[in-house]
Amino acid sequence: MNAKQRIAAVVALQMPDRVPVGPLLDHYAATYSGYTNAEIMMDGNKRIAAVIKTAIELGPWDITFLADTANAVLLQLGVPILLKLPGRDLPVNSTHQFQETEFLTPEDYALLERKGVLPFMFTIMGRLNPKWKGLRGLPPLLKTLWEYRRHVSMVRAKGIEVAVGFIHPGALYDYFSLGRGITAMSADTFKRRNAILAASKIWSKGMTDMAIMSARLIGVPRVFIGMSRSSPEFISRRNFEELVLPELEYTVNRFVAANIIPVLHCDTNWTKFFDLFKRFPARRCILELDGRSDIFTAKEILREHMCIMGDVPATLLATGTHDEVLAYCRRLIETVGKGGGFILSSGCSLPNNAKMENVRALYEAVQEWGWYS
Amino acid sequence: MDQNNGLSELGRAIAELDEAGVKTLVQKRLDQKIQPEQIIRELSAGITEVGERFRREEYFLSELIYSGEIFKNTMAILQPLCKASVDAKHKAVVVMGTVQGDIHDLGKNIVITMLGCAGFSVVDIGVDAPAQRFVEAVVDSKASLVGMSMLLTTVFDAARETVVAITQANLRDKVKIMIGGSVTNENVRRDIGADFWGSDAAAAVDIAREVYP
Repeated sequence: MNAKQRIAAVVALQMPDRVPVGPLLDHYAATYSGYTNAEIMMDGNKRIAAVIKTAIELGPWDITFLADTANAVLLQLGVPILLKLPGRDLPVNSTHQFQETEFLTPEDYALLERKGVLPFMFTIMGRLNPKWKGLRGLPPLLKTLWEYRRHVSMVRAKGIEVAVGFIHPGALYDYFSLGRGITAMSADTFKRRNAILAASKIWSKGMTDMAIMSARLIGVPRVFIGMSRSSPEFISRRNFEELVLPELEYTVNRFVAANIIPVLHCDTNWTKFFDLFKRFPARRCILELDGRSDIFTAKEILREHMCIMGDVPATLLATGTHDEVLAYCRRLIETVGKGGGFILSSGCSLPNNAKMENVRALYEAVQEWGWYS
Repeated sequence: MDQNNGLSELGRAIAELDEAGVKTLVQKRLDQKIQPEQIIRELSAGITEVGERFRREEYFLSELIYSGEIFKNTMAILQPLCKASVDAKHKAVVVMGTVQGDIHDLGKNIVITMLGCAGFSVVDIGVDAPAQRFVEAVVDSKASLVGMSMLLTTVFDAARETVVAITQANLRDKVKIMIGGSVTNENVRRDIGADFWGSDAAAAVDIAREVYP
């Protein structure tokens, strides 16, 4: 089986020849290949060279991310938060970091309704980066999309499948939570419910259209959906069901209708909401966990419903021994991977200071224990 | 007083996150010449109830943070009217910061909100805080507890250096150190040389109560 066939099998909850492996690669590509973080964030050629080198030499992996989350243009366009970049605001080898400020206002819910998604994003991008005011963000966006398409071809030529063709920022609640800050968003949850719901309708349609168009243009039939601030660590089940889940159902169903696999990228602990994920179409989604959720409970609840991806914790990769990483991977493969429906990956991004032998252990583990036949 | 849960109408309003109700009831009490200290006691009882509901998982962070905001905004009105500063009554001080090299403040701020709701005074030294800033804050505040927040595995060395700096300043036997953040665990605590690891913000409050019984 090749990488593409393995992914198709696990998404359908079938057993491929072996467990596929695909860590979430971003800044670690710089660490491994000798570039600075500043270089891979700003220079697409260096970024793709680093991605390919890492994914081949520490594997070859079946799947790789294109270090999307270390792409300065994508981050500045898509994340409504003050971004601190290595080489500009931080030392060149630091990872990028977000500084939470309340820069979206309560009036921005209505502004989004009036303007629509893309003009709204350009407006707020101009607030964060005055050089991109108006439509000046459009050329770098288009250039990045074409560059992405080219990078996909380069990776596929090496027999590796690209993880996702678009980074969807998630439900409006998650997006605004970054721009409003957690304190203001907590108050909005109770004081501005109607504004959230009204803006959510515009957001979900516009962002879903954009994601489908981008995934088709780029040629990767999977879309990452960011999920963090709407988790049960932050909001109640009732608030999730009223303010977030309807939008996620809309987005996921439209992706599935367009033959696109939603990759539900769940940061923080989502264990208490796993049962709600049964509302999404069966055998059509990937649930990606970051090490905070209980991945073993996810398998118990969703074994007939959803492919699970994860979740070797960042701390284990940075501070654990090679044997400890192998033991955890083996447990994942033998428990979560039992019967198929599993992709071995890191819990969120590989950390900048992961030990090389620990990252290599993921591939070693699937070779040792991951064969089904 | 409501005999069912021991809360006054005002306490119940803040426990139910009724911001407008809190505002009206506080003004009504001030008009009735009720002492601000009494009003604050009622509010504090309501906030304690919020904390209990959080522990029972009836409330989540959004409820906790919103109630903290209502409380803070109300205190901004009441505190200037108090004869003595309410803060002066708190001897339980916690120094909180995100360690050097890490500018994430969300986790730190959540812990600060929870500690504040539980009645602790918190000295917030911000993000990207060098070891010396922790040391100076402990000396200035005479805190017995320091909290170090971190979200990156790359700042473990800085956290360890902070513990060393506190030791070298001859403060280690006077202050307990707790760590927290999504990349931390018991092994990291041991490696860094801290006394406690909190898996979440509620655990930080338990630790503070252990240090300040």
